[in-house]
Amino acid sequence: MKALQRRTLLTATAVLATVGLAVTALPAQAAEVGVTASQIKLGMTLPMTGTASLGYNKIPGAAKAYFDYLNANGGINGRKITLVVKDDRYVPTEAVAKTNELILKDKVMALLAPLGTANVKAVATSVNPARRGVPVLFVNTGFSGFADTKKYPTTYTVLPSYIMEAKIMGEYIKENFAGKKIGLLYQDDDFGIDALAGFKTAGVNFAVKVPYASGSQSAASAAGWITKFKAAEADVVILFGVSSATSAMLGTAAQLGYKPQWMLGSVGGDATTIKLTGVPAGVLYNAIGFSPVPATTDMTDEYVKFFSDIYAKAVPGSAFDLNVLLGMNTAFMTAQALKAAGPNPTRKSLMAAIDSKGATFASSALVPAGYSKTSHVGLTGYWVGKYAPTGDLAPIGGTYVTYTTDSGSGPVVKSTYKRPAMPAKGLPN
Amino acid sequence: MHKSKKQSTHLPLFILGGIVLVILSGIVDELRVYQGATIAVYVIAISSIILLTGYSGQVSLGHGALMAVGAYAAAVLRAEFNVPIILCFIAAVLAAAVGGTLLGAAAARLSGPYLAGTTLALAIGLPSLANQFPILGGEQGLAFDVGFPPLALGEDFTQYKWYFWIAALAALISMWSVRNILNSAYGRSWRAGRGNEVAAQLAGINTARSKVLAFTISAGIAGLAGALLAMTIGTVSPSAFPLALSFSLLTGAVLSGISTLGGVIIGSVVLVAIPEIADVVAHRLGSSESVTTNLPGLIVSGLLILTVLFVPNGPVEQHRARKAKHEAAHNSTKK
Repeated sequence: MKALQRRTLLTATAVLATVGLAVTALPAQAAEVGVTASQIKLGMTLPMTGTASLGYNKIPGAAKAYFDYLNANGGINGRKITLVVKDDRYVPTEAVAKTNELILKDKVMALLAPLGTANVKAVATSVNPARRGVPVLFVNTGFSGFADTKKYPTTYTVLPSYIMEAKIMGEYIKENFAGKKIGLLYQDDDFGIDALAGFKTAGVNFAVKVPYASGSQSAASAAGWITKFKAAEADVVILFGVSSATSAMLGTAAQLGYKPQWMLGSVGGDATTIKLTGVPAGVLYNAIGFSPVPATTDMTDEYVKFFSDIYAKAVPGSAFDLNVLLGMNTAFMTAQALKAAGPNPTRKSLMAAIDSKGATFASSALVPAGYSKTSHVGLTGYWVGKYAPTGDLAPIGGTYVTYTTDSGSGPVVKSTYKRPAMPAKGLPN
Repeated sequence: MHKSKKQSTHLPLFILGGIVLVILSGIVDELRVYQGATIAVYVIAISSIILLTGYSGQVSLGHGALMAVGAYAAAVLRAEFNVPIILCFIAAVLAAAVGGTLLGAAAARLSGPYLAGTTLALAIGLPSLANQFPILGGEQGLAFDVGFPPLALGEDFTQYKWYFWIAALAALISMWSVRNILNSAYGRSWRAGRGNEVAAQLAGINTARSKVLAFTISAGIAGLAGALLAMTIGTVSPSAFPLALSFSLLTGAVLSGISTLGGVIIGSVVLVAIPEIADVVAHRLGSSESVTTNLPGLIVSGLLILTVLFVPNGPVEQHRARKAKHEAAHNSTKK
């Protein structure tokens, strides 16, 4: 019996030791958390390992490449930007734990580009950056809900929403495939629900709609989808899913000799990620695709040239793809926001800077951003292109045709947006 | 024989533990409080595995799925019907226990790799079922909001401290219950069945029923852990219950000593502390990102191998065995 008591005592002692794990003292409060005379600290959580990390794990390297370049050229008013990156393995529990570390231990000024709808939502509820006044800049998801400034007052989106994308696809179909039979493959969750809402607003009538459950995408299920599209005699098939669904579908279709006009959503249309799943890039050839930023192979574009040069030096041997371009572009926009936040940036002045000047920030995007005092909506549209045999998306006929719209019932319009020229040396002015 | 002693349930000790935790939660900073809540969740989840595997001898690779059942039950009741939070947690226990009974009924006919395979399939398949029913919120999940701490606790009382209090209380209650269940006739019949099923049957134990009961109780506890996990992240979504969760629980159980409840805190602390330790080590060494991100997995795997090699029954059991040996030697020399 004595042994049992000892056991419980041991338990109690262990609890004591645990919770008492090194009590960290709070450092003297500076002007703003994460900002010192020589440094601005930002934090990022995203999947660096695991299946969901494919392609995305290049984003921190890309953002750091730009920040290093910026730091080497004087930083932001003499302050160097430090980016603390943590792996959340695409698991909400991890995202919450790591974000807590970023805010409470590393004491970052702002969170940058967290990835995944479920993760961002869990962090918003549990960590509650809004209550702590921590800005969440440029979340890496197309879920339109994060632009809700009442629910997420410190969160800023950057990617165009899934609804916008579906509406623009609908408009393109009306203009180019009138009278054709259209098929749709979509993910049977919020991602797909957003897409369906967009297509409905655009007035697209589908000959066949095929939902798939997230995680069920394989060559075998793709064969089943193809049977349905064939039965409905679809001329155009839209794949509005994740990369693994796109690659399963295109890979299987190539083997079966099934060749409709493919149209790929931007989430599942990244050639590098598709190639990583083991499907040759050639299957993408001639598919229609959508992107908010220029083709990553377009070296005549000043931003693409500038970013790819920096990236090649910082991370030699790594391909310059869409994730890299978006990662660097996010870092570039962040730098401008910090610069615009004044000589002694605070969390509040950082957000105020995006509200007042965010829409005019230089960015590689070919579509305008919607930031204002009342809106945290990022990019608002896409250009339409076709995939080359190498799997790279390129504008049809060599010119970018861009469309803009909103996540509501607003019209889809061909954009006349003129992108601001890149500031000298790619540094915020 | 020792009837009067057996009835001792160590209640005062658990109450004392609770008081210590309350005091501690007031001293340490917010991050530690949050980690404390996570540790409490793991303590509950791992003790459910120890009960099932260590005492009743059944393997489950699917406890993450049972946690998901509990979490979803609690979240749906909260989101749809605004049920009081305490009832949500009770519902989580009951829902997961029902799931456990069903699984246990199947499990009683299976053993070894077949049981492992069945529960593994559950861990893979069950959470993504949520995508099929709109009421469960799909991939982005459902909010699970236990609400703000009562105002009576003061304005400075943080949300995480509230989470910690709830989780720690739940952990103390479940540890106390599990300990007493294991020391009851049920616990003894589980151990008898684990040791030798035929002998247990000859002794009059209905081993099939006893196994299903173990699964039911273990699942109920796992369900509670799931609901608490959902509380700490404020949401429930399929991706919060990946296969890796089931595996890390099992890892935690092995590190704790699969057949000793007392060591459960060791495993829980290790699971929470390792990523942080790895982070510190990697930054000291200035290693590359790929090292930083893979180091936690490496450390946990290393510890797992070392545990199995050197302290297969866990550090607590090992310590106790050594002590018993020492005492025996001491006593014999005395004679």
